[in-house]
Amino acid sequence: MVLSQKLHEAFKGTVERITGPRTVSAFKEKGVLSVSEFVTAGDNLVAKCPTWSWESGEPGKRKPYLPPEKQILITRNVPCLRRAASVEEEYEASGGEVLLDGDDGWLATHGKPKENKSDEDDNLPSMESLEISKKSSIKQIPSYMGAEDDDDIPDMADFDDNSNVIENDPATLQSTYIVAHEPDDDNILRTRTYDVSITYDKYYQTPRVWLTGYDEARMLLQPELVLEDVSQDHARKTVTIEDHPHLPGKHASIHPCRHGAVMKKIIDVLMSRGVEPEVDKYLFLFLKFMASVIPTIEYDYTMDFDLGSSSN
Amino acid sequence: MEPLLQFAPMQSSVDEGFWHRLSSLKLNKLGIDDSPIHIFGFYAPCSHSQVSNHLTVLSESLPSELSEASLIPEPSRGNRNRCSVPGILYNTNTVESFHALDKQDLLKKEAAKIWDDILTGKAVEDCSVLSRFLVISFADLKKWTFNYWFAFPALMLDPPATVVNLKPASQWFSAAEAESLSAACNEWRSSKSTADVPFFLVTIDQHSCATVRLLKDWEACQGNGNKIFFGFYDPCHLPKNPGWPLRNFLALISVRWNLNSIQFFCYRENRGFADMKLSLVGEALITVPQGWKDTVPSAVGWELNKGRKASRCISLAQSMDPTRLAISAA
Repeated sequence: MVLSQKLHEAFKGTVERITGPRTVSAFKEKGVLSVSEFVTAGDNLVAKCPTWSWESGEPGKRKPYLPPEKQILITRNVPCLRRAASVEEEYEASGGEVLLDGDDGWLATHGKPKENKSDEDDNLPSMESLEISKKSSIKQIPSYMGAEDDDDIPDMADFDDNSNVIENDPATLQSTYIVAHEPDDDNILRTRTYDVSITYDKYYQTPRVWLTGYDEARMLLQPELVLEDVSQDHARKTVTIEDHPHLPGKHASIHPCRHGAVMKKIIDVLMSRGVEPEVDKYLFLFLKFMASVIPTIEYDYTMDFDLGSSSN
Repeated sequence: MEPLLQFAPMQSSVDEGFWHRLSSLKLNKLGIDDSPIHIFGFYAPCSHSQVSNHLTVLSESLPSELSEASLIPEPSRGNRNRCSVPGILYNTNTVESFHALDKQDLLKKEAAKIWDDILTGKAVEDCSVLSRFLVISFADLKKWTFNYWFAFPALMLDPPATVVNLKPASQWFSAAEAESLSAACNEWRSSKSTADVPFFLVTIDQHSCATVRLLKDWEACQGNGNKIFFGFYDPCHLPKNPGWPLRNFLALISVRWNLNSIQFFCYRENRGFADMKLSLVGEALITVPQGWKDTVPSAVGWELNKGRKASRCISLAQSMDPTRLAISAA
């Protein structure tokens, strides 16, 4: 971990310990959520998109300011059929259209034309001080299954092929392993699944997204490999690998330092169009914004909903 | 001769939290006691046209270290994305004893429990016991590696069931029936008392009105000319095969209600709502000989690892090894 990132974590932890959670609503003014607004917005997400559920997480990591059974929002086994990096390459190669809607904070859902990159920086949640090392190449990281500790792990094949498992059953569908039924063999290797969770970040007063990745055989991916499924504009800037606040282990997370500012822009755009945004819709807007960071992870958020009480 | 009905095997998924809690249970409570542990797994209907759902074990699958009274965890009820399945974990103390376990025998023991619950009718009252699973594991707490192997016992029909007319529910039913069935299923899935009940009956009356009912209502559904289907939450996404839970369900239906021709309904969702294009309906034909109820049928179900009969191994040294954690935190 980079030193500056650690210092920041220590600072953030201290501030979280000594300050109370937000209780006054400021979502229209600052794009942030109070604790009770987070619960309200979460209840609405679970009701409209039932693949999401509330969970209580690890008992030892429970936050007293949230209801015990509503600590985190989680959706499991979300498909991710292609790597974000390859999607962007194809998109840029085909000279794709500009999806960015001016500078109003709506980010492209896919890659964007190269020439725009420099002046759009303002919209990207940037995190220079917390940057992950650029040197490590994601391709070279061994998976948990991998060869790193070859000598330590006994060779199971020696035992297992002689094991006493005898199963000859014509009613079992024979397949190497069940994956996406794409005709193209490459897709077997591309099919990953994710557990996506949303926590409440007390310091930034916004939701925060965490990603746990699995390969095509549903074996845990090293968090570093998750970066392949993050829009390359964000991969090295805004995604960090940290201890999950409610679950065991290290997980990739989209750092929330700019979430409030971007959400404020989105809310401003809605209000300029005469739509009065309602706080229980916050997570739908938030997840739409997150889709620009993780464009190929197909989690649910309703697209065609009423954004708020319209003025007409 | 009709084609054989082939079932897509259940797949396992282990959350990192499961190994974390198992390690601390082993270190702080169990010690060298290697008696089997009652656990719970969770599954849900397939909710995407391109990926199947899995049987997942999480830290909550294991008993809590703090629960003094018993080592049997209480499944939480009413979460639609977590239908609980009872399981048993054999965690050995050495890699040798892991390999020495008699896998056929362990599978047989779990199959016998399922069979017993079918014969006594317990499976009709509480259908969550129809799908059981077992895990054998060796947790190497010095190297933070975990060898494990899942099995999902399925009772074999002999001869195997054949199938006619397997197709998407949207093609099997009229538009009015499909619409009524979708609405009934969505209601079933959103009610706290039935959301995690994975086996059920569907009746459709002359006016195309569908009703979803508990298995124990079977007698009440008889004799009124309604069409009856046996429904289950299908974790499989494949367009031409039902998922694994149907196997023990067919055994139950054949034993309890003596049916030779069974219309089944593989319930699947898209984005959390009933989807009649992904859901399948078919007719299974069963011709088991007289007297097959007298002995426990053979069972299969050890999970393959990338097509091979082999256990799996995961190393969590990076997130569990105190030395490595100290280095990365320094």
